Amino acid sequence: MLSKLNKFISSVKLAVFLFITIAVLAMIGTFINQGDTIKQYKTIFSPAAYHVLYWLGFLNIYDSWYFIALTLLLIVNLIAASINMFPRTIKAVFGPYPSFQEVSEKKNPKAVYEAIETKKKPEELKEVIGKKFGEPLYEKISENSDKAELYYSRNSIFRFSPYIAHISVIIIIIGVLLNFKYGFRSYTNIKVGKKTNVTYLLKNNKPIKLPFTIRLDRYRTTYYSDGIPKAYISTISIIEEHIRILTKNIEVNHPLTYKGITIYQASYGHYKPDKYGILIVNLRHIKSFKKIIYASAGKYYNSKINNIKFMLIRVVRKGKMPYFPYIIKLNNKKILNFRVIRVKNNNFPLIIARYKNIGFIMTPQLKTYYYSGVEISKNTYVSVVWIGCIILVISLFFSFFFNHEETWVSLSGINDAKKTKIEIISIPKKKFNSFYKKFDKKISELKKYLH
Amino acid sequence: MISPNISVLDGSLYFTVSLLFVFASFIGYFIFLFTGSKMISKISFVILIAGFIIQTAAFVIRWIYAYKIGIDTPPLVDLYDSMVFFAYVIEIGYIILRIFYDFDALGFIITFIASAALAFATFYPLATSAIEPTIPALQSYWLIYHIMTLFVAYGAFAASFGLGILYLIKTGKSKNKDIENTKQKKQNRFLSLLPESAVIEESIYKVISVGLVFLTAGIVIGAAWADSAWGGYWSWDPKETWSLITWIAYILFIHARFTKGWGGKKMAWIAVIGFAVVIFCYLGVDLIIPGLHSYATPSSTPIL
Ligand code: HEM
Repeated sequence: MLSKLNKFISSVKLAVFLFITIAVLAMIGTFINQGDTIKQYKTIFSPAAYHVLYWLGFLNIYDSWYFIALTLLLIVNLIAASINMFPRTIKAVFGPYPSFQEVSEKKNPKAVYEAIETKKKPEELKEVIGKKFGEPLYEKISENSDKAELYYSRNSIFRFSPYIAHISVIIIIIGVLLNFKYGFRSYTNIKVGKKTNVTYLLKNNKPIKLPFTIRLDRYRTTYYSDGIPKAYISTISIIEEHIRILTKNIEVNHPLTYKGITIYQASYGHYKPDKYGILIVNLRHIKSFKKIIYASAGKYYNSKINNIKFMLIRVVRKGKMPYFPYIIKLNNKKILNFRVIRVKNNNFPLIIARYKNIGFIMTPQLKTYYYSGVEISKNTYVSVVWIGCIILVISLFFSFFFNHEETWVSLSGINDAKKTKIEIISIPKKKFNSFYKKFDKKISELKKYLH
Repeated sequence: MISPNISVLDGSLYFTVSLLFVFASFIGYFIFLFTGSKMISKISFVILIAGFIIQTAAFVIRWIYAYKIGIDTPPLVDLYDSMVFFAYVIEIGYIILRIFYDFDALGFIITFIASAALAFATFYPLATSAIEPTIPALQSYWLIYHIMTLFVAYGAFAASFGLGILYLIKTGKSKNKDIENTKQKKQNRFLSLLPESAVIEESIYKVISVGLVFLTAGIVIGAAWADSAWGGYWSWDPKETWSLITWIAYILFIHARFTKGWGGKKMAWIAVIGFAVVIFCYLGVDLIIPGLHSYATPSSTPIL
């Protein structure tokens, strides 16, 4: 029972299944938008389709419990397989090595066998054969009277490279999971001149609080001479307890890291201009009182003249674009009967309204707020991931290109020790054609020498 | 249309010239398949090397030109350059392979893929050869290492695809041969030109191993780059995800071969299918799933 379970858990079949499942899920995730808001989904899918996809968990695959569970299962599979194989590998590298007899009885399908008879003496042969099969890493001689056995092993140490590759994969996955658990990735938009310490998680738009405040001092885009953007630069200050700690420019490819939290330039833009400059003049003292107030529609602003408040309101005319979409409304929420003078000044329709001694002049100035979109991430345990990655690449190289080759040579005297029978068995770890070719070459060289 | 003047300056004319060479080499290899003349295969190989040298020169010219007009990143970033570079990489891969093994029969597949990539770059209207300034997201020294390693991997996978096809032809045909007796043996000159299936099998494994080492390195470098530019080392963006899927496909290959003792035929199929995944990862993702992973808020301009 237990051994059956072990066999299943450590089987390559399970690994193939897990790999394919993970790959298919990852694939699905590239065709269905991940982690959008419900509203966004409802514009793409019908409600029924949305519910099915939601129920299947296909809207947030990469963070889902089953995706993580599959990954963990893969780790278990990997560990189980490695542990099961390990004793055999240890034996293959450090011994005790099987004898010639044992190997020849086993009939390994990868093995090659050759037998030669010669008149040369075993002592001499040992040296020659040793030369042919490279540096004998290990040499086992079990001598009894007229029999000798030699064992050569090349690249045996590289038997460990697949294990190291597997361990590095485990290291990487552990690093990724730790980062998933203790790190976060979020975004926020900051208006120029404003500060914030709230940021929104990428995966579900939930707000979280940062341990410090970020202020956007300045945003600008620089361009190549042909108008293609060259750089997006935000000047950012970190503020802690009302004290400015540092100020730095961030750009794409040049983020800022403070207290383990990294701020990346991700996007930029401006909010729709919604404030119109209104020049307020005191018609009695035109020189002494002039002021621009930026007003958005639907809000009262104090004109600072006789404490009179005003509001911009939108004019909606059916079927016709209004000449100018706003009129001015005063204190008592009634549209007063004031004079409106319209002047076509360049492209901009000028509106002049007058109430008592106050003149309102719409100016062409719009107030737009630029903002910088930043991604704010806490990437912890990244070094674990990098270490795993480096080990992985190196160990893959050693796994692939170093083939463990074992050779058993048996020398036995025949015909009352007048002749020596040489028997050679060679087994590669990987069944490469080039290995057998090399073997054939060595044998023919050996034969040539012996004749 | 670009004026010929510019195409001399920026090196794209020489790429077009190299296309002629590579295509000529392809025709040579094709003729070789039917005649079996070693002479023709040698000439084709020399023509291919000439085309390769012209491309090398074109790259140098193009890089210098880009540098002169004030672009610091190497000309590898847009579709044109990447297609051309792809052709370049698989040519060099084949040239190296050819030096070590007697793989003349592979030549016609390799030169076919290389000339297809070059032709695509030259004639596909969206792949213009004009050098454009690099957008900010790509202004990074990671870029060159990232692209180079991945393209070596792609080139290796292209070669394994070719080898897989050769293997399938070889084994598929030789079965018929056994049945239909030796009469056919002489007719199947093409078959005799192919290396032994055991040799092809080993080279599929080795070429894929090279590809897998470089693919892993390329993905890791990409992750390191993303960590310094994107907000994290992994964002599950379609391209990233597909590169992971490609990686899994080839890891499967390695394991299936090794532990299940899958025969050469299945492996050859995996080499062919794996390359389809590579092509999808390389071109398909951009064409079919454009800009899916967009975390930017509405009305803002994502710049990554
Ligand atoms: C997740 C990523 C994995 C990587 C990068 C990886 C890597 C490798 C490499 C490079 C080899 C050597 C192959 C060769 O030399 O041809 C290998 C062998 C092997 N792997 Fe994996 N592997 C992974 C997952 C797994 C899993 C999940 C299993 C679970 C069964 C597994 C089981 C094995 C076995 C049994 C061997 C044979 C080792 C030997 O006989 O020495 N591997 N692996």
